Amino acid sequence: MKLKNRTTQYLTISLGVLCIVCVCIFSFMAVFLRRSNQETISEVGTLYMAGLNERISLHFSTTIDYRISHVKNIVSAMPPEEVEDSKVMRERLKYDAESRDFNSLAFLAEDGRLDFLSGELFTISDPQPFLDSLRQEQVKVAAGAGERGERLLLLGVPASYPMQDGRESAALVAAVSVDMLESILSLDFDQTDSLVYSHIIRRDGAFVIRSGSAFRDSYFDRLRAEVPDGNAEKYISELKEAMAQRKDYSAVMFAGDGGEERRHLYCTSLPYTEWYLVTILPYGEIDEIVSNMGGGLIRAALMGCGLILIMLLLVFMGYLRLTRQQIIELQQARREAEHANKAKSEFLSSMSHDIRTPMNAIVGMTAIATANIDNKQQIQNCLKKIGLSSKHLLGLINDVLDMSKIESGKMTLNMDQVSLREAMESIVSIVQPQVRVKNQFFDVVISDIQAENVYCDSVRLNQVLLNFLSNAVKFTPEGGHIGVALTQEPSPKGDDYVRCHLSVKDDGIGMSREFQQKIFDSFTREQTDRVNKIEGTGLGMSITKFIIDAMEGEVRIESEPDKGTTFFVTVDFEKATVSERDMVLPDWSMLVVDDDRQLCESTVKALAEIGVRSDWTMDGGSAIRMVGERHKHHEPYHIILLDWKLSDMDGITTARRIREEVGGDTPILLISAYDWSEIEEDAHEAGVTGFISKPLFKSTLYHGLRQFVTEEEAIPVSEQFESEQEAEKSLSGRRILIAEDNDLNWEIAEALLSDLEIEMDRAENGQACLEVFAQSELHHYDAILMDIRMPVMTGYDAAKAIRAMDREDADLPIIAMTADAFSEDIQRCLACGMNAHISKPIDIKEVAKQLRRYIQ
Amino acid sequence: MTLQECYAAMGGNFDDVIGRLRSEKLVQKFVLKFLNDDSYELLNSSIASGNYTEAFRAAHTIKGVCQNLSFVRLQDSSARLTEALRDGNWNDEVAALVEEVRGDYQATADAIRTLAGQ
Repeated sequence: MKLKNRTTQYLTISLGVLCIVCVCIFSFMAVFLRRSNQETISEVGTLYMAGLNERISLHFSTTIDYRISHVKNIVSAMPPEEVEDSKVMRERLKYDAESRDFNSLAFLAEDGRLDFLSGELFTISDPQPFLDSLRQEQVKVAAGAGERGERLLLLGVPASYPMQDGRESAALVAAVSVDMLESILSLDFDQTDSLVYSHIIRRDGAFVIRSGSAFRDSYFDRLRAEVPDGNAEKYISELKEAMAQRKDYSAVMFAGDGGEERRHLYCTSLPYTEWYLVTILPYGEIDEIVSNMGGGLIRAALMGCGLILIMLLLVFMGYLRLTRQQIIELQQARREAEHANKAKSEFLSSMSHDIRTPMNAIVGMTAIATANIDNKQQIQNCLKKIGLSSKHLLGLINDVLDMSKIESGKMTLNMDQVSLREAMESIVSIVQPQVRVKNQFFDVVISDIQAENVYCDSVRLNQVLLNFLSNAVKFTPEGGHIGVALTQEPSPKGDDYVRCHLSVKDDGIGMSREFQQKIFDSFTREQTDRVNKIEGTGLGMSITKFIIDAMEGEVRIESEPDKGTTFFVTVDFEKATVSERDMVLPDWSMLVVDDDRQLCESTVKALAEIGVRSDWTMDGGSAIRMVGERHKHHEPYHIILLDWKLSDMDGITTARRIREEVGGDTPILLISAYDWSEIEEDAHEAGVTGFISKPLFKSTLYHGLRQFVTEEEAIPVSEQFESEQEAEKSLSGRRILIAEDNDLNWEIAEALLSDLEIEMDRAENGQACLEVFAQSELHHYDAILMDIRMPVMTGYDAAKAIRAMDREDADLPIIAMTADAFSEDIQRCLACGMNAHISKPIDIKEVAKQLRRYIQ
Repeated sequence: MTLQECYAAMGGNFDDVIGRLRSEKLVQKFVLKFLNDDSYELLNSSIASGNYTEAFRAAHTIKGVCQNLSFVRLQDSSARLTEALRDGNWNDEVAALVEEVRGDYQATADAIRTLAGQ
């Protein structure tokens, strides 16, 4: 929980920081963009206005040139030196001026006086510089004013005409209206949509041409009035300085009401004159447009920012959820690990307790035995207890070893052909003593057997069943019932398989639902007072589960506290391919008496399969009646199978009553799942012929009943079966090569196999074996028994080499005979081309069985 | 000392061996021959020379002989030594097992010598 809060906190804070950073970056970018926008606009404005000024001044100069050329034409049309008649000259000049659309024409004397030739009178606004330049024979332009005060542009061309007063003129001056200039230069901006407007001013600031909203006489006054905060003087002095040097001047200033409007001023000097062109670009509207655009940009940026933030938020939330999920899973895993760890340490502590108990017994009993070394009975007692404790200890250790093997994934199944009958019989015989000690009732039910011989790991199968059974015995109180059942049905895996249902049932203490869930976990045992005094590692069940899993089987539990437990195991086994010996009994008629209907039916069915007709009944009374009936009709039953326990009377009583009723020598066999030694005497006294043990497989029945086949009846049977002696005899005279490096082992093998009348040759190692075989005649040897761990050459290599030989009999049976019994070793033997594997100690029956199996 | 007592003294399973070999005489013959078996010397010498592959084989042979003769105790310790030596590595566990095998072998050999001495 703490971890979760911390993660949440961290994520929230980082998200917040991210938001702030985003907003900061975008704000900064907006401000920066705005500023750089303004700078760019100023630059563009400067360039634009420089171009504009240049154009205007070019236009100005062209216009002036054009007008001056008019004046010059007038002069050249009437050259002063050709003047003959002053009056004619004046008339002529006046005419020329009017025809060229000049407002006025006058001679200008050296002293500045004017001698008007035509048009209105005018005055020169600033005559001195005008005169100075004219004296230097330069063309010059100046401003003037008409009689009514209208502004005029004066164009002077030096010329020496005789004036009215008889003096020589300095220049001829023509006047044109400034308005004309204004319209020609397109300075009357009022009519256009352009933002830009221009003035022409003199060096002292006075307007020559005024446009826009200007109404004052001096541009400097206008600046003073419109630029606040005394900045005006700064601009004026800078402007004056630039004008004095005839340089371009550019400045951005704030003007208007409160100084909010940004204006760009650009000033250039105009040619021919002492005039200056001032162009003003108010940025107000441009700024507005740009700021609108900027605003749009910022809005878009903010929206983008918001979008990114939302997506980030989503990502964060997703990540948060994932993290939480992981944290939960982590906690789960940790809990499980802790749980497993706890279970292991609990297991260790209970194990150490469980180990210590028998150890203590062993140590203690040893001490007692030592102390009473002369007391034979006491020592025997001690040794018995030591033996029991050792066995128990061994069981515990085996469990732990099994478990570690399973946990390290090393457990493999050792598949072999197994008779389920033998397997069940051996389990029953193991469990019987335990059952008897606790005075429990034990029952075995076998039904619907389709394949008695199957391929499976018999040791592991035994382990599974014994585990369930010993648990059943352990957790069932005295006088309880324990049952084991086996049924078969066709397997969904195909015809080669058979599905086996095994169940182990008891009416013991049962278990809680919670415990059923984890019964197959390692290292667990239900922790309640009632089971604490029962010993065990708690590993049995998980081992069992692993084995069943390895067999690809399923296990199911039905249990209820104080009612009992049933384990159901379902496994598919491959049917043994070796054909079952045909078991046929004579055409008998039999009676089966058992209080278990299922057992009766399955037994009748099994009997029918071996050629015996049979009736069945469930109680002693009707059995006696049926036997009596048959006896009367002279069709007696050949054999009667009686269960030891029946609903109305026990089997022994029933047998006695039958003998009383019909007497005779009809064999009566008692069916029993128990060791019958205790009841044997009573049974014989009552007339019981023999016993047949549960479970009742087809083969159990066959072997149990075969002894009652008489000579006459046995005709078809004897041919089909070789007795074991006959089978053994068939090996006599066979030649076998034995590869065995150890003398003692060789001698033992020799001693044992000589009983089978087998001829044996010995090879001391794999290499020798190979050589002996290579030099032997074809088909001299019938088989090779091969030790694996030998010097010079191992049995593996020797087998491979023999299989690789180019000999007709290179495929002779090679049977491994070694002290290794792990299934990996067996697999390796088979992989090297050997036919089978026998583990030491040498068991003559096993050797004979394998030899018979492989020798043709 | 009878053969049974000899088996009891060395920690063997007489019932098992007699079940397989059937004749007490045969068992006795092989048991006495056990003293002549050189696998134990091979084990000692190969351990001394550091040849653990050979030591593994020797331990394996001892195990095999013991299985045949049902010398359960020595079979058990030699089997564990065999497994420990299977990878051809030497460690403390192996050293401990070697000592155990030596102890068991001595006990077994002593018992057989007692039997032979009669």
